Amino acid sequence: MSTTQRSPVTFAVTMLALLFLYLPLVVVVLFSFHATGALSFPFTGFSFRWYRDTFGSPTFSSALQNSAIVATSVAILTLVLGTMAAFGLSRCRPRLRAPLAALFFLPITLPGLFVGIALLVYFARLDVQLSLTTVMIAHFVFVFPYFMLVAMAALDRLDPALEEAASDLGASPWKVFRKVTLPQIWPILAGATALAFALSFDEFIITFFVIGPDSTLPMFIFSKLRRTVDPSINVVSTVLMATTLFLWAVAFVFALRAERGRTRRAGGVLGEATP
Amino acid sequence: MTSVTESRPPSERDRLRIGPVALALPAAAWMLAFFAAPLVVFLVYSFLTAKLYDVSGPLTLEAYRDAVTTEVNRTLAVNSLVVGVCVAAATVAIGLPIAYWLRFAAGRWQVLVLFLITATFFASYLVRIYAWRSILGENGLLNSGLERLGILDEPLGFLLYNRFSVSVALVHIFLPYVVLVLYAGFRPISPALVEAAQDLGANAFARWRRVVLPLIAAPAATSFVLVFVLAAADYVTPQFLGGTDGALLGVRIQAALTGSGNWPLGAALSFLMLAAFLSCYALTVILLRALRLHRIRFVS
Repeated sequence: MSTTQRSPVTFAVTMLALLFLYLPLVVVVLFSFHATGALSFPFTGFSFRWYRDTFGSPTFSSALQNSAIVATSVAILTLVLGTMAAFGLSRCRPRLRAPLAALFFLPITLPGLFVGIALLVYFARLDVQLSLTTVMIAHFVFVFPYFMLVAMAALDRLDPALEEAASDLGASPWKVFRKVTLPQIWPILAGATALAFALSFDEFIITFFVIGPDSTLPMFIFSKLRRTVDPSINVVSTVLMATTLFLWAVAFVFALRAERGRTRRAGGVLGEATP
Repeated sequence: MTSVTESRPPSERDRLRIGPVALALPAAAWMLAFFAAPLVVFLVYSFLTAKLYDVSGPLTLEAYRDAVTTEVNRTLAVNSLVVGVCVAAATVAIGLPIAYWLRFAAGRWQVLVLFLITATFFASYLVRIYAWRSILGENGLLNSGLERLGILDEPLGFLLYNRFSVSVALVHIFLPYVVLVLYAGFRPISPALVEAAQDLGANAFARWRRVVLPLIAAPAATSFVLVFVLAAADYVTPQFLGGTDGALLGVRIQAALTGSGNWPLGAALSFLMLAAFLSCYALTVILLRALRLHRIRFVS
């Protein structure tokens, strides 16, 4: 536990920043409940009519469905391939680590614009029709490094002695993973999967280039933003934010659980050593 | 112990040794096929001649010449540079005190505030652009609110469609990210260091200059460069908030790809930008090393 100082200036900056971060978002949510179509003050009363309108529109439901399909597939794919890759990377020979890590983490440093247009040109070159599949392929490239960052941090903190002990006692590698490693890291993996879903659900920058004729929720907002301004954009924005924020809350709670579990276990071992 | 090791079948020990890399192969193949290969193809395209939404011809530097000599590209590059530097400087300048407060002064509020700040990172990118457009516009919330309060007679026009509005939205987008990186940078630093400086008579300014900033220099520089790159290459925010005065180079690249169908030009502009970004990364590393700040770590 760290001691806390008094630091009024940094406290004030933090509170102002919270205001700056939240006010615009609160305003968007507030006007999704506006009784009239106006997006300016005065606020003339609450109503759910824009929610009814939006949820009744077929373009919205197909966009929502597409977003859910893509994000779910990307999350599952990332969980499976990402967990395998994180293990491979953390246990492989040191000489192979650097090139693999470069391949896995480089996309994070590159603006989405470049990834998007390079994939657009690549798919055209290969005569691949743009569809939700190409969106999934692109989202995996975008989401994977984030998953790896979280998973690698968790794996690096594991105590290798536990796995060695299990395999010395004759457990197969698969059994070691299932009985020793997985119980220690599953909260982190669950959190990272929720993160992957949220990132994919909200992705626009790359999606714009590789989507073809279909639509997702961010694409739906984009096309509306270009044409009109009406509270249905606020409704879709609110739905989008509620989903991703919920998933981030899930990821956050899982990360906290893992952190507390770790300190508790560490405390337990120390407690036994020094009663 | 020895008997257990000997009794294990040899095939299983072999699998243990070869296994790890094999596990990483599917993901590595995916990244090679859909990240590395597209970039290589795209690089080749930058040396070809444009046909509508396609390319042809022998290798040439025509696209690069076109990209560099066109006047509008230079204006947009300057816009990208200015907006990128302003956004990066602002996010790091605001992010530093926040991360400091979170690490050393927040106490039991730490988890809640950290959650609240990082949560906005997941508030959709497009939604923030939309939010700022509806706040800063001529009929926007700020103008309509101020008019209703009787402070303004007619709307302020300079709030939207320039580099300022683009920068505000980009700071809003990247601030949570910077706070997270800087907080991670502060985490291993012991509060005792700052307290010791205080006990030895350093005032707040001296504590920041002599103790806090050298310790956080590496993460701060890293997040500065990352935000600069991501902000300077943005193409959506300037489209909606930039108007003609606040357009960035990314808008032009996107237009070359999807609008005019001139792929080699878009590719040449992208790789010129990428080269500039890579030199920024390199320069940061060199600077940190020259100032001997790249490895400073005082773990509690």
